[in-house]
Amino acid sequence: MTYSIVFLISLSSLGFQVLLTRVFAIGQWNHLSFMVISIALFGFGASGTFLSILDTRRKGWEKRLSTLEPLKIIVLLYSLTVVAAFMVLNKLPLDYFRLPIEPLQAVYLLLSYLILSVPFFLTGSVISIAFAAFYKSAGMVYFFTMSGSALGAIMPLLLIPFFEEGQLVILFALMPLVFLFVPPGKDMEPVNAKGILLMGAALAIAAIGFYIVFADNGRQVKIVPSPYKALSQMLKFPDTNIDRSVSGIRGRIDIVDSPYIRFAPGLSLKYHERLPKQWAVYQDADSPYIIYDIASSEDMEFAKHSLSFAGYMMAPQLSDVLVLQNTGGAAIVYAMAAEAENITLVEPHPELAKIVSESYFVDVVNSNPREFLAQCRQKYSVIHLESLGPSIPGTAALNQEYSLTVNAFINYLSRLQDNGVIIISGKLLLPPANTIRLYAAAYEALQYAGKKKPEDHMAMLRNWDNFTLIISDTPIKDSEPLTHFAQSMNFDLVYLPTLEKKQVNRFNQFEYPYYYEALQSLRDAYLAGTESRFFKQYVLDIAPQWDNRPYPNRFMKWSQLSELYQSTGSRFYGLLLSGEVVVTVVFVEALFVAFFLLGLPIIFISRGKPKPRAHHLVFFLGIGAGFMFTELYFIKQYIFLFGSPTISFTVVLSAIMIFSGIGGFISQKLNQTHLKWALICLSCLFIGFYLGFSIILETLLGLSTVSRYVTAFLILLPVGLLMGIPFSIGMRLLLETPMDRAYAWATNGCASVLTSIASAQVAISQGIPLIIILAAVAYFLALLGFVKVRGS
Amino acid sequence: MNGFLLPGTNTKIFVFTILLSVLFYSGAATSSDSDHYQSEREKMVTEQIEKRGITDQKVLEAMRKTPRHLFVSQALRGRAYGDYPLAIGEGQTISQPYIVALMTESLRLSENDRVLEIGTGSGYQAAVLAEIVDEVYSIEIKEKLYENSLEVLQEAGYGEVKTRLGDGYFGWEEAAPFDAVMITAAVDHIPPPLLSQLKDGGRLILPLGNPFSYQNLTLVTRQGEDYSVKQVTGVLFVPMTGRALQ
Repeated sequence: MTYSIVFLISLSSLGFQVLLTRVFAIGQWNHLSFMVISIALFGFGASGTFLSILDTRRKGWEKRLSTLEPLKIIVLLYSLTVVAAFMVLNKLPLDYFRLPIEPLQAVYLLLSYLILSVPFFLTGSVISIAFAAFYKSAGMVYFFTMSGSALGAIMPLLLIPFFEEGQLVILFALMPLVFLFVPPGKDMEPVNAKGILLMGAALAIAAIGFYIVFADNGRQVKIVPSPYKALSQMLKFPDTNIDRSVSGIRGRIDIVDSPYIRFAPGLSLKYHERLPKQWAVYQDADSPYIIYDIASSEDMEFAKHSLSFAGYMMAPQLSDVLVLQNTGGAAIVYAMAAEAENITLVEPHPELAKIVSESYFVDVVNSNPREFLAQCRQKYSVIHLESLGPSIPGTAALNQEYSLTVNAFINYLSRLQDNGVIIISGKLLLPPANTIRLYAAAYEALQYAGKKKPEDHMAMLRNWDNFTLIISDTPIKDSEPLTHFAQSMNFDLVYLPTLEKKQVNRFNQFEYPYYYEALQSLRDAYLAGTESRFFKQYVLDIAPQWDNRPYPNRFMKWSQLSELYQSTGSRFYGLLLSGEVVVTVVFVEALFVAFFLLGLPIIFISRGKPKPRAHHLVFFLGIGAGFMFTELYFIKQYIFLFGSPTISFTVVLSAIMIFSGIGGFISQKLNQTHLKWALICLSCLFIGFYLGFSIILETLLGLSTVSRYVTAFLILLPVGLLMGIPFSIGMRLLLETPMDRAYAWATNGCASVLTSIASAQVAISQGIPLIIILAAVAYFLALLGFVKVRGS
Repeated sequence: MNGFLLPGTNTKIFVFTILLSVLFYSGAATSSDSDHYQSEREKMVTEQIEKRGITDQKVLEAMRKTPRHLFVSQALRGRAYGDYPLAIGEGQTISQPYIVALMTESLRLSENDRVLEIGTGSGYQAAVLAEIVDEVYSIEIKEKLYENSLEVLQEAGYGEVKTRLGDGYFGWEEAAPFDAVMITAAVDHIPPPLLSQLKDGGRLILPLGNPFSYQNLTLVTRQGEDYSVKQVTGVLFVPMTGRALQ
């Protein structure tokens, strides 16, 4: 019976974790998977601490608590707290993006962290009780918790097309209640009055839960997006409605109809005609994707008066055009207005791909752009990437984005016909940031492609809020057409192989020709070989990003914080450029609670009684940190493969849970020597991943979808199996008392709380591969702890 | 309209003005332009406007002359000269005095100019413009505000201001072309009909950007068939409503 509840509650908890990443993606500005994992493990750690303290007061707790009645009460409380925590979170005015200018947000963040950790505290209690009561079969307990978790990670993926995210959270909360209705076994006591009372309570909770889920089409559990997200703002206009919403694992989309949608990025002020009718598709309540109602060529006329059309003028022929629209939606109309012969549009979201293919007569491929490029052999005369980013710059700082890295540019160049051009459309940021980074990325890709003078292959134009970067396969020798187009449309030239200061900042004037000056300085730095110094001295982080650090919308440079603060009028507005402040705040808050969790049991242990041993602490800290670094490393790496954080989260968690569950099961028959070798193998394996995993990822991207999923899953087999061994053997063979085991559980949880957050910061600032080195170091530390334990 | 300066707002002046209003305004002030209001206005011009760098004497004089307190409700008259916007009903506000002065100065107006204002609101901005130029046209989309402003403008002696109830997005075709156009509500693009109603050399000023967030006060100048755009400063305005954003 205990195993079944361990299985059920683990399933529900993991499902809740996956769904929380979706809740944050819609309500906030990022999926915050690092925070979700940290919250869960904080709850787990807290349960260990609580039980350690309990051990100091009452002996034999593990036997009493592992009987049916207390477990049923914990399950009831679990279901109740998941529902309550989610409802509170949905009402809390949390908006982490406002952290730099609204300190109260730190309190909301802590509050949501603590509230959401309560259900995980209860889950952790059940697992910890099971480990303490059945320590001789720790491998079995480990197997059931891991297999339940694995199923919990996969189930949201299967159910999300049928329910909204909030509805699923409640349904997952109710799942473990099934345990209360399982008839007792032959050798167990029959159901008594208390048991009936508990069943009644379970029925009441279930009834309330179902009412919330299904009444008024789940309105009460509909996720409320931040009021600053584009969808929230759009809905403030009169006569504006959501026509249809579709939930999916790649994100929720809301199709909005409004007479107030008017989208024409980079449109010339000289165009005075009306625009075609438009409607918008919002992805996770932001990043509007516009669909135009094109009935005739007149409806496309506006495209010829837009910045990015300059790129089409530069292409000598328009036989095959590839359109990649991260956000926006106008690029497809430019390609159509340019009368391209064949247009292919790549769209990763299946529902959006369907909408686009129904709206325009073009080939629409439902695929992740990098995957498409890795698999296609065709060459294009124009590749147009429209990437306007989120509605507020800076909010996408934590988002992994693989279409703007140097590697992506190398891919684009390799798929370009002779004389072809790449067009990048984006939003203008001041101080110049994305414009410089993209120029640098293109420069380095051109260098990689063997172009002798990369600076001669590029051009950039802007208006008052948009820019277009043009990268040509051949050097731009005749810039007259571009100059004439810019002049006639009142656009400003920012960069040309030969451009004089007097030609810039004419129509869309800033106090100073910031963009021109910045690109000239960068070009000179490249020519002098001093680009590293240029990137180091610049107030923002604008160095080009490679696939190992794919955060093209992250510009914050902590070393320049004081300068940034002063340059923005001694205000913290500058920090708005950084969505990563949330990582720091969560880390500080988690650090505080982690020390609290570890210190509390030590305070409570009476004098004269043995305190937790330092070697044990090192061992369980090491395996906790190692496990979490590994998990986060693969989640981040697999986003490259699947193009979706939630899919990556699901694949990695389910695979690691299944395989480490099996590892735990096998470990029942293993001894301490095997434990030592498992730790050594893990450290070595991870060094191998550091050295060669990027090549494997590139290769996997070229495989078919099924092969890619299967291979990605199987790669985690040795990792999961080995990672499942240390914890269960440690629990079984290294520890002696229930208090030791509860404290080890708390230690493991604390390490994971901190490392899950730390890995987010490491990835942003140092790159993803470093995380796996940290995992190797953590397992090596565990090995040292283990050697000391054996020695003593 | 709802002009409010984002960076550089002088908090001390703001707090000081509120305190003054609370301490000295008795509620018995009349609607006439008493010495008290004239002195308040003088202080407003000196402390809020000149200190922030407005130097155009025509604008300063207009701000000194225009009885701002007449354009707000009785209840708010004691705060009429404070360094902040005030509510005028219908979800709209009268702009902070500095923003009124800044927008007016940015248009570089001459006496003979013909100016179009989009968003009459209280009528205060139109009155300030009327102190400087001969012809002022103003369009308001909200009927109640339109009627109130018409009445107040006439009572305050600005009967020459031509007002109209309608959608300002499409301008005032019959009265075009204009030397200057001023939009006093936030908009995320520059309305093409207003550009085409500008004279050669004409100027258009507007809060340009996200209507529900902050905007940049932007000056557009027409030179023949060309347009130049210049960013002035960051501001907060209420969104342009009606069909105006289509």
